[in-house]
Amino acid sequence: MTNALKVLLIEDDTIELMKFNRTISSLALKHEIIEANNGEEALKVLEQKENLPHIILLDLNMPKINGIEFLSILKKDETLKHIPTIILTTSNNQKDLLECYKIGIAGYILKPLKYEEYVSKIEKVLSYWSINELIKI
Amino acid sequence: MSQKEIDILKRAILREKGARKAAEKILEDKSRELYVTSEELKTTNLKLEQLLDEKSTQLQGVFENIIDAYVVMDLKGNIIKFNDPAVVLFGYDIDNEPLNVINLIYKKDYKYAMKSFKKLQENGFFTNYRARIHTKNKDIKWVHINASLIFNKQKKPIAAQGIVRDITDLKNLELQKESLLKKVEKSNDELQEYAHIVSHDLKSPLRSIDALVSWIKEDNQEHLDAASLQNFELISGTLEKMENLISSILSYSSIGFDSVKKEMVNLNTIVQDLNKILMIPEHITVKVKSKLPTIKGHQTKLEQLFQNLIGNAVKFMDKEDGLIEIDVKETPSYYEFSIKDNGIGIDKKYHEKIFKIFNSLNERKDSTGIGLSIVKKIIDIHNGEIWLDSEVGEYTTFYFTLKK
Repeated sequence: MTNALKVLLIEDDTIELMKFNRTISSLALKHEIIEANNGEEALKVLEQKENLPHIILLDLNMPKINGIEFLSILKKDETLKHIPTIILTTSNNQKDLLECYKIGIAGYILKPLKYEEYVSKIEKVLSYWSINELIKI
Repeated sequence: MSQKEIDILKRAILREKGARKAAEKILEDKSRELYVTSEELKTTNLKLEQLLDEKSTQLQGVFENIIDAYVVMDLKGNIIKFNDPAVVLFGYDIDNEPLNVINLIYKKDYKYAMKSFKKLQENGFFTNYRARIHTKNKDIKWVHINASLIFNKQKKPIAAQGIVRDITDLKNLELQKESLLKKVEKSNDELQEYAHIVSHDLKSPLRSIDALVSWIKEDNQEHLDAASLQNFELISGTLEKMENLISSILSYSSIGFDSVKKEMVNLNTIVQDLNKILMIPEHITVKVKSKLPTIKGHQTKLEQLFQNLIGNAVKFMDKEDGLIEIDVKETPSYYEFSIKDNGIGIDKKYHEKIFKIFNSLNERKDSTGIGLSIVKKIIDIHNGEIWLDSEVGEYTTFYFTLKK
């Protein structure tokens, strides 16, 4: 039995959002996607405690609150810190990687150049999390 | 007086005469001896005087001629003597204005000065004192002082002397160097950060283009003719090349930034591991002719070095029986490595150019023209040299040295 996930995607790039949505629909996945264009928007989404996502996919390079700042805020919150957060980024900067794992992440996925490769990576991440037991409210 | 008595007296007189003569003789001898001795004494004294003069002149000479300041003070710190450089350094005319060392000490160094002064009293000397002083016109100078006590005949200390060197310029240079190093480190970090951001910002649009192109392709599958499909392939290839280029620039600009310490690196292991990673085609044999050494260096950079050179040899192999030979020669101070292939070869006119960035000789998707400039940079970091020998269509041998 796989679960339909509630995924919060934090991404500022329109085409990246389109890529993700197209991937979901082309794979005919039943997950619910909540979009947030930046960290601030995402924090607003997370204020609705009765409708928290199961997992968060987080881009690192964003205006205003960047990914790492957002992650730090998240991990300081008693409720939100339990939500598995997977980084989805272009940055293979060792410093970022180390910093993210130090703060606490559930994965670090590099966005590939090829769209097909992107689809395959997203498919794997989502299928992994849909067979996991997740904290539900 | 009887004859007898007279005889006795005569004998006595004679005896006495003899005794006196003997005494006179002794006296004469003695006074001669005395004269000689006193003459000797005179010469010795003269010699001593000369010696003293000589020593005094020497001392005076030292006092006057040393470039460093020479200072004598009493045990309370009152300055008794300054040589000319001391006058120049401190700016005081001690013949007309009494001066105590306390007045020279820079406030923040006071504690250190007192500690050193105590050491002088207890041990009779101190060396390598480095601190700041005030000159008469309120300048602050860095000085280096070696000092010792002066004792009298009874071995009681009566004064102290010190040689004072002005190290202000040296100290300023040191401080300048430190702050420069810090600045360089900081701007290196910034540059590295900048390179990452630029690479991210440049790669993002490429990913978008790739996604958009593949959607157009997907959505119009039936309507596209062979030529259009081929053009899509070309776009895809171009994007890949662009992305490789950005990655290579990033890795080129990252070399020499990370402060990872040098460690002992076994080059045999590196080459063996590379043979697995590089996916060497079956028609190419990689042969390590002699055991490679373990050298001090950066693990990942040395990996990159061998990976780029062996990778190039594989990439530009046009023979059916490809052979890549790795060898090493040892000299007292360095190792000379060679990587020889029987591939396409490199024309002599390009031998210098290929090490410069963006000078790929081949229009290939997997060739960015950065590989050999990375190799050059890594060898530079390891204080080595690289050169090559080649015959077009026959072989290429890259030689490089790494310091032991």
